[in-house]
Amino acid sequence: MNIPTTDQPFIVVGENIHTTRVLSRRGKLIAKDAAGLESIRFRDVDNNRRLLAIPEATRKTQDYEEGRVKHLKIAVGQAMADNRDAFDYIARQVQRQEQAGADFLDLNVDEISIRIEEQQETMRWLVDAVHDMSNLPLSIDSSNSEILRAGLERCADHTARPLLNSASLERLDGLDLAREFNAQVVITAAGESGMPADVEERVEHALRMVEAADQRSIPLADLFIDPLIFPVSVDGAYGQHALGAIEQLRARLGSEVHITGGFSNVSFGLPCRQLINDVFLLLAVEAGADSAILDPTASSIVDVFSNDRTAAPYALAEDVLMGRDEYCTRFIRAYRKGELTP
Amino acid sequence: MAEIGDIANEFIRDEIDEFLEKENERNHIVELFAQTRPLLQDIAAALIDGAHEEVDGLTQQALSEGIEALEIMDDGLIAGMGIVGIKFRDNFIFVPEVLACARAMKAGMAHIEPILSDSGVEPVGTVVMGTVKGDLHDIGKNLCIMMLRGAGFVVHDLGVDTSEDEFIEAIEEHGAKLLGMSALLTTTMPNMGKTIEAFIDEDLRDDIKIMVGGAPVTPEFAEDMGADGYGKDALSCVELAKELLSE
Repeated sequence: MNIPTTDQPFIVVGENIHTTRVLSRRGKLIAKDAAGLESIRFRDVDNNRRLLAIPEATRKTQDYEEGRVKHLKIAVGQAMADNRDAFDYIARQVQRQEQAGADFLDLNVDEISIRIEEQQETMRWLVDAVHDMSNLPLSIDSSNSEILRAGLERCADHTARPLLNSASLERLDGLDLAREFNAQVVITAAGESGMPADVEERVEHALRMVEAADQRSIPLADLFIDPLIFPVSVDGAYGQHALGAIEQLRARLGSEVHITGGFSNVSFGLPCRQLINDVFLLLAVEAGADSAILDPTASSIVDVFSNDRTAAPYALAEDVLMGRDEYCTRFIRAYRKGELTP
Repeated sequence: MAEIGDIANEFIRDEIDEFLEKENERNHIVELFAQTRPLLQDIAAALIDGAHEEVDGLTQQALSEGIEALEIMDDGLIAGMGIVGIKFRDNFIFVPEVLACARAMKAGMAHIEPILSDSGVEPVGTVVMGTVKGDLHDIGKNLCIMMLRGAGFVVHDLGVDTSEDEFIEAIEEHGAKLLGMSALLTTTMPNMGKTIEAFIDEDLRDDIKIMVGGAPVTPEFAEDMGADGYGKDALSCVELAKELLSE
């Protein structure tokens, strides 16, 4: 998909095959099956209505009791145990990501277990399964190098080059893995011993990562820099920290490198997250981002650019993101008055 | 039993009417505020409203009228924060609003704390906090610390990527009875269990209570690895800390 204003390619790392993903138990996707047990409603790739049963072990967790259904954790776990509904559930998610314009499918199984062997086994299984469902290249996503390796090994016989998500100064071995498996790689602005505090630290960390990649002969065009995006609900300056870093990195590194990010993190803790996400995506692209790690079924770059920038909700969201609305007071007040939704 | 009409402050009455849905909580809070001096009700109301300058002024006024610092803290500031916590838990308010309340709490505590420490009143509790080894994500932990300090706890912040030895040393150095660990990554979460084991190995486990939290952490996981409690956000962390120290 291209950025409407510049017609440059925009690379979407489709982020929904994640064991962290949550559905609300009170939402419309949860229904009772014939036996009266709560199940997840979905349509399979042929558009038939189907139900995915929620296992008893899941129903007993406090998470579930409090209304959070980790649907992909359930689907992946059940599909590995040969549950056809669960397998078809994943296939549908893959299809939706692909149809919505994902360029990569991001796979994350970190929450399936706390045992590294199980996480690795699940990653191997999921890479094989998704390869059978789609020709899109995969983004192998984990905070652990051994899980990354397990996924990349399974990508080796596939023609599409994978993306490793992610390496950083605290995990430089990610770059070695990217080199070994000829993968493109997300490099984050995390430091060796802490998260970046401002624009300058983000730029400095990212530039050091670019240099470390260069030492390993990984070309600039294979790098996706993630400046790290923190919630503006916690600190009004966080939006500008990411945007400022994107702008400076683009100016210093030129057009070859990719700049991406998990932009939806910016709206954590606030109402109307989609509005904030869309406005932030727009600002990030204008600052120089040419990629995003996001759920393309929720955010579309074309829709984002057709936003009416003179409308009140847009201006309120932009104020939040630019740190012009202390404690998001005006934004939340407008939300309560119903002024943010048409 | 007290009635809502026994509460002098209209703002507090409206808050109770609008946001307190659970009967036992509502009764408890009505009972509490009905016995509270009107000026301290005003402090609680200003805190709930996130009005830090007002809390600052009213706290000074209360002290100058001779009200005990401890009473101002308990019946004004902490009581107000109790309502904030319930509103947040039940999704009536959002993260920035809680932070505005925390700023107001801090404005009040700035006058209360020196008096309490001068008069030798023990802090509510002493807590050692850090993210576990390998984990650099500290936004959640920092929110917990802000809320704990607001509630009168003394918190020793070990920052990020904390080793088992660092946790143990800090607990011994500060004589803390409570340890809080956080992890944002599934892959670093097991280090909570390892830290707990290290406390067992050092024969220190029974001297302290341990609470854990962070996005991938669940109550089941917390129990499995031998923690004493799990908090799902910064406000439940404060409740949990009080509960664990009163056991």
